[in-house]
Amino acid sequence: MAKRKSIIKIKPRKYKVGDIVKVDFIVIHPMETGMRKDKKTGKIKPMHYINEVKFYFNDELFTTIIPWETVSTNPYFSINMKVTGPGVIKVVYKDNLGEVNEKSKKVKPKG
Amino acid sequence: MERRSFLKGIGALPALGVLGASSVTLLAKESKPKGKNAISFKKALEVITHGKGAKESDKVHLVVPEIAENGAVVPVKVNVELPIEQVKSIHILSTKNSNARCADVFLTPRNGKAYFATRIKLGGTQEVVAVAVLKDGSAIMAKKPVKVTIGGCG
Repeated sequence: MAKRKSIIKIKPRKYKVGDIVKVDFIVIHPMETGMRKDKKTGKIKPMHYINEVKFYFNDELFTTIIPWETVSTNPYFSINMKVTGPGVIKVVYKDNLGEVNEKSKKVKPKG
Repeated sequence: MERRSFLKGIGALPALGVLGASSVTLLAKESKPKGKNAISFKKALEVITHGKGAKESDKVHLVVPEIAENGAVVPVKVNVELPIEQVKSIHILSTKNSNARCADVFLTPRNGKAYFATRIKLGGTQEVVAVAVLKDGSAIMAKKPVKVTIGGCG
């Protein structure tokens, strides 16, 4: 299984319990539409896109995103989250060829 | 006489050729291969709202650029000014892409605010639509046109 690069960013960088923070998630992925031609071989490139992204906080599912192939290459998703205490954000993402990957980030509220 | 008709014939040929070529390209455009997920905007909206349709409302704030130089990367930001408990999901659609759906987001109270941002591909100048489905089953939406100078799909 190919390992993909992904990033989770929490904005702003300093936050307290009770704050609503932005959670940005970026994956390095080609997101092929299945309509483009390979210029060298002239064949149509097969469809390859992320079709499910799930956000967990302390193993509790809080957001599901279903992207389609019309999302740009190297997709970027941004959502809000309410910080209720320290924990771990885990993002599990799947694509239409069956690749499953995950990424996690610690949440450390101050004050 | 022969010479004259011959010349006429020559003059007519390229015109015919051009016509033929243009009709061929038109046909090719109509029968352009569509993706497996191809769905029209109307049908997608019907599926999302269960056939009820969506009302335009100023509570949905949609932020898109007026002119997108590159259709492959168009930033889209949606903010719904309603308590998070009332909002069930946010959907981003485009009116002319072969697959009208861009992203479906299902929210829960932990999100705190109904907000979503992403980047999408647009095949040409068209409208981007954000639909918010509420807990009571009704749907509200916002529309904005985007001018695309270079298409990003296909």
